[in-house]
Amino acid sequence: MKILLIILTFITPTVVFGQGKAIPINVSIFNESSAIPFTRFVTTPIHPGLQLGTEFNYKVKEHSRLFQTANISYFFHNYLAQGIGLNTELGYEYRLKFGLAFEGLLGLGYMHTFATTKEFIFTNGLYEKKADRGNARLYPSFSIDIGYYLKKSETNSPKIFLRYQSWAEYPYSPDFIPVMTHINLHVGTKFCINTKAK
Amino acid sequence: MNKKLFFILAITLLNSCHKGEDINPTFYECNFNFADSSYANPNNNKYRSLINDMTSSGVVGVTMSVYHPQTGIWIGASGKADLYNDIDMKSCNISRVGSTVKMFTATTILKLAEEGKLSLDDKISSYLQGDVIDKIENANKATIRQLLQHSSGIYNYIQNLKFQTASLNDFIREWKPEDLLKYAYNQKSYFQPGEDVRYSNTGYIMLGMLIEKIEGKPFYKVFEDKIFSPLGLTMTKFAAEDHIPSGTVRGYIDMYSNLQVVESTYFSGWDYYTADGGLISNPYDMNVFFRALMSGQIINSNSLAEMLTWKNEKYPDPDFFPISYGLGIFKIQTEKGIAFMHSGDAVGYYANMLYFPSDSTTIVYAVNSNYGKIDQFVSTKVAIEKIISEIK
Repeated sequence: MKILLIILTFITPTVVFGQGKAIPINVSIFNESSAIPFTRFVTTPIHPGLQLGTEFNYKVKEHSRLFQTANISYFFHNYLAQGIGLNTELGYEYRLKFGLAFEGLLGLGYMHTFATTKEFIFTNGLYEKKADRGNARLYPSFSIDIGYYLKKSETNSPKIFLRYQSWAEYPYSPDFIPVMTHINLHVGTKFCINTKAK
Repeated sequence: MNKKLFFILAITLLNSCHKGEDINPTFYECNFNFADSSYANPNNNKYRSLINDMTSSGVVGVTMSVYHPQTGIWIGASGKADLYNDIDMKSCNISRVGSTVKMFTATTILKLAEEGKLSLDDKISSYLQGDVIDKIENANKATIRQLLQHSSGIYNYIQNLKFQTASLNDFIREWKPEDLLKYAYNQKSYFQPGEDVRYSNTGYIMLGMLIEKIEGKPFYKVFEDKIFSPLGLTMTKFAAEDHIPSGTVRGYIDMYSNLQVVESTYFSGWDYYTADGGLISNPYDMNVFFRALMSGQIINSNSLAEMLTWKNEKYPDPDFFPISYGLGIFKIQTEKGIAFMHSGDAVGYYANMLYFPSDSTTIVYAVNSNYGKIDQFVSTKVAIEKIISEIK
């Protein structure tokens, strides 16, 4: 329940912010992987994830813009953990005339991870089956992506993108592995809802 | 729309947990030919109190054997073999014993040397060729003795961060020796062969390959022929033949150092097929093996003298005993005197075997949980000193 409240608190301002004009929505599915960033691209087995987010611009020029994102994500890593994360990123996009665009994003977020296998908690000298309260993490990230605007002349054109997101999980396993690095390979789309302000 | 999404996420979180495996208690039954007089042992209460103290601190389950010339062998167990099915640990239960296998690997190599099939000072490159030699720095120069003594300087594949993340990415992957060795390819060696000592699993994978090359069959079959069968080690097996043989206790990891453990029985696939890990045994069998080895029942006195020729590390780990390296064996100075030892970790398991040459006291213990806070009770210097001081 606490998690739902946190999620609602996080999302509500972004919905209010967008009322009465185009609200960009980013949706992506991704493959999460424990890996050293920039050493692997596609990894197996697939650990599926879903990310939903929005963004708003700080500064827009003819070919570029500086913007901020707000995202909620979920991933499932079989046998290890599932995580639900909230993050925000500062992004820079450079868009070419024919619709191709490149982005770099620097982010910071909060993640709560839960064991994907039954957890036993040591209580009063014995291990007992108890509900998993999960573990809190910080996750800084750095992403690069390549995208394509389907309607190249429109500001609010739908876009498809491929994003390589590298991120670190801290703390990971205290006294054993303090920080774990990951990569998420996203395939996604950006579209706008409520296009009155086109 | 948001409410729907939250609902889906909440349902996903609640339903995506592996429930646990229903296992019939008969799976853990283990009867072996041993006239157990542990309850009559004058130290029974003391030893039992020690292992109960370990499990009441957070170790999931422990099995232990203690041999003393005056009182014979004692075996005992405490805690749980399986938390999900609430099965108590029994003293005969088997578990993964990780790198303790290196002492078996070294013993087998010394047996082969006795049989005239190799010389310890031969270069490993006289027997192995290809990428294993060409792509691993120092492999063309190192001798068999140096590999056994961890003085080859060859890079330890386990330290490669790419290997560590890859194994976490796929916990149940079954790694073959060649997959693991690739993480040592083109890595800088620690030092020139013979200059120092530094633990290297890579060298022991190569030694397993050497045994197979000379004997023409899997190295663990050679273990069976030369060690397991002659000593009657009926509870000792190798994971390559059966990954989780009947009787194997569940393993658990304290991943987040908060004594909230999850099962890891299927997570140790990286040493199923290599001579640097992969052994499955129990403290009774390991105690029999260690004493037989030290008393010259497996290898002759010359070979044993080679095994117990020590080389000190230049840069000891300040958090552990200073270690002298023999061939597949270590020497440490404890508060109760010199001990020969080898320990081993697997994911969710830890084992340690200690032999005191002053009086032949032999202590072996195996636990089915590790990492995080649990290591403080089983594998740190403080934990080992405590166990020794309670027993000796």
